[in-house]
Amino acid sequence: MPTERELAISPIVQESVQHNTRVISNIRSLTASLFGIASGILGLESYAGFAFYLLGTFFVSVLIWAFLAKGKQGEYFQGPLSELWAGDVLGGGMSFVLTWTLFYGLVRA
Amino acid sequence: MVQTIHRDPALFYWILFPISIVMILTGVLRHYATILLQTTPKKLTLPALREQRQLLHGINLRTNYSAISSASFAARKNYLVSAYKNGDFLKDPDNRGKPAGNPMTDPAAMEGMMGMMKGNMAMMIPQTLIMGWINAFFAGFVIMKLPFPLTLRFKSMLQSGVATRDLDVRWVSSLSWYFLNLFGLQSVFIFILGNDNAASQMAQQMQQMNPSGAGGMFQPGQDPDKMFKSEAENLEVVEHEYILKGVEERVLGLV
Amino acid sequence: MSLSSSLRHSNSEALSLSQQSTQYLQKHTSTGTSTIPVPFISYPESTELWLMYEKLLLSCLRAGDDKAAHLCIEKLIDRFGATNERIMGLRGLYQEAVAKDDAALGRILKEYDEVLAEDPVNTPVAKRRIALLQSLSRTTDAIDALTELLESSPTDIEAWTELSDLYLSQSLFPQAIFCLEEVLLVAPSAWNIHARLGEVLYISVTSSNESADGKTLAEAMRRFCRSIELCDDYLRGYYGLKMTSDRLLSAFPDNSKAAGQILSTDNGELPMPSTATVRKLNEKATSKLAEMTRWTTARGYNYAEVVAAKELLDKSTQPKQR
Repeated sequence: MPTERELAISPIVQESVQHNTRVISNIRSLTASLFGIASGILGLESYAGFAFYLLGTFFVSVLIWAFLAKGKQGEYFQGPLSELWAGDVLGGGMSFVLTWTLFYGLVRA
Repeated sequence: MVQTIHRDPALFYWILFPISIVMILTGVLRHYATILLQTTPKKLTLPALREQRQLLHGINLRTNYSAISSASFAARKNYLVSAYKNGDFLKDPDNRGKPAGNPMTDPAAMEGMMGMMKGNMAMMIPQTLIMGWINAFFAGFVIMKLPFPLTLRFKSMLQSGVATRDLDVRWVSSLSWYFLNLFGLQSVFIFILGNDNAASQMAQQMQQMNPSGAGGMFQPGQDPDKMFKSEAENLEVVEHEYILKGVEERVLGLV
Repeated sequence: MSLSSSLRHSNSEALSLSQQSTQYLQKHTSTGTSTIPVPFISYPESTELWLMYEKLLLSCLRAGDDKAAHLCIEKLIDRFGATNERIMGLRGLYQEAVAKDDAALGRILKEYDEVLAEDPVNTPVAKRRIALLQSLSRTTDAIDALTELLESSPTDIEAWTELSDLYLSQSLFPQAIFCLEEVLLVAPSAWNIHARLGEVLYISVTSSNESADGKTLAEAMRRFCRSIELCDDYLRGYYGLKMTSDRLLSAFPDNSKAAGQILSTDNGELPMPSTATVRKLNEKATSKLAEMTRWTTARGYNYAEVVAAKELLDKSTQPKQR
């Protein structure tokens, strides 16, 4: 946590922080659903499916880091590790499981 | 041994999709119903408004004191501290010293609590209704296979109605599809309804944790006089630091 | 209050908006007034629609199109009812704009007073009343009314900035500075307010009869520095920085004597900056201003501001060429 004086000199704007978190959250849920569809169609089972999800999420995080944060993650996030890389993975995990189950059942018939 | 059960593909179209669609629609409905049921925030009288805002003023002074010089800060601090101690801004100067109002009798607090209760009702009623509907229509059979395994404890919950001993836990009934939807659709709701929608369960839980709501700063049961006094003490303790000190070096370092 | 945010359109934008007004109003005649909203036939209602109407009303009034403004205000009243506070404020604004003489304005003032007697918390009407007092040139009354408003709402930054402008018009500098500081308490990161405070300090120095007050000038310079620190390419900040540093350099060419005097009376105020620092800041401001005048509107700078910056630069380079 920056000192109080540093905070007064370069303040943290609550609105921007919320906006950044929202962008990350949106991207995660969208890509999670897509990954669910993909792994359902591929017919992946338990551990393989989750591994696929984690890999895919990691790949998406790399893309976010490269294109949206332009490599300077410290400027956009206060704790980049927990916000950019691991942000909202569990929420996205729910959407992933939902679409995965749906398409697994549909395709496998 | 891999257990397979052959199922009619028509099962999906008649069960999975209807359940999902119903849940999405009830979510949307609940969101709009909450908006319509919201009462307009009660208008404050002038003394009440003054009380609230002057407290905010003091808090602002305490947080952002670095923007003004120490002389200005000292002047404001003295004024506010003496005003707080004298109770100049209280809306009921005669009520000083009396115990805080009982939340049951104070009308403003009642409105806040009613709002919370309405929100809770709006959450729980559709959930119970849908669960009842599913149990009525879609019970007694397994509908699909989960792609991942679960422990045996879940068997009773997810396979309700199908009383077999060695059916794999991965075969589940439609109730589990309901649970999956409950959690997975929250992100869908965020997409279609904007960010703070009433259909999202997590938002509801967070709302329950800070129930300040439309009642403003003074939550039921808090004494404004005490709040003023504590704010006055906080102001006394502040050590003033001027942000303009050393700003020219910082600017030169910026380039 | 969004009244002030809608005014941020420039004059040309306001004119173009009002010219499109008749088309807009015709397109949306069926909105919001039908009792059974039929989807896909009438436009769905949204908050943006009504904000647009408010903006349209203000632009039409600015461009002098009273008829279109009348249509707008009628629609707003139909939708929200005439007892809505914000609508009352807008209606008052419209009436003031089309009032023919001072007597009509006086009647509107009496109306405001009646409304406020019933309901003293009606902020839009209270603010309209103050604006009306200003246009009737009753500045002292306006100041009194504003101070009363601020006694009960000390966190209203729009009111504080208005009050500081009023004090400035009466050349009451310490009070104007006090008001701007109040604004900073609510919004400490508002670089435009820091710049404005610097400007007020500079004006107080230039219009007072005594010789250049070093402390105030130094404070003005520091305010501009802070505004630059918060916003890297704030043209007004650099402009102010250049002006104050020019003045400081011409007033205290060598810093030994003057700075020594001030330093010894440091009663919690900051010491004077050294001449070297002032010179460096001056160079930085000059170079940055030169850069910005080259970019002009391509980077979104206000054209008038850029022209003013060019003039300042030319003025300061001319003596050097001699």
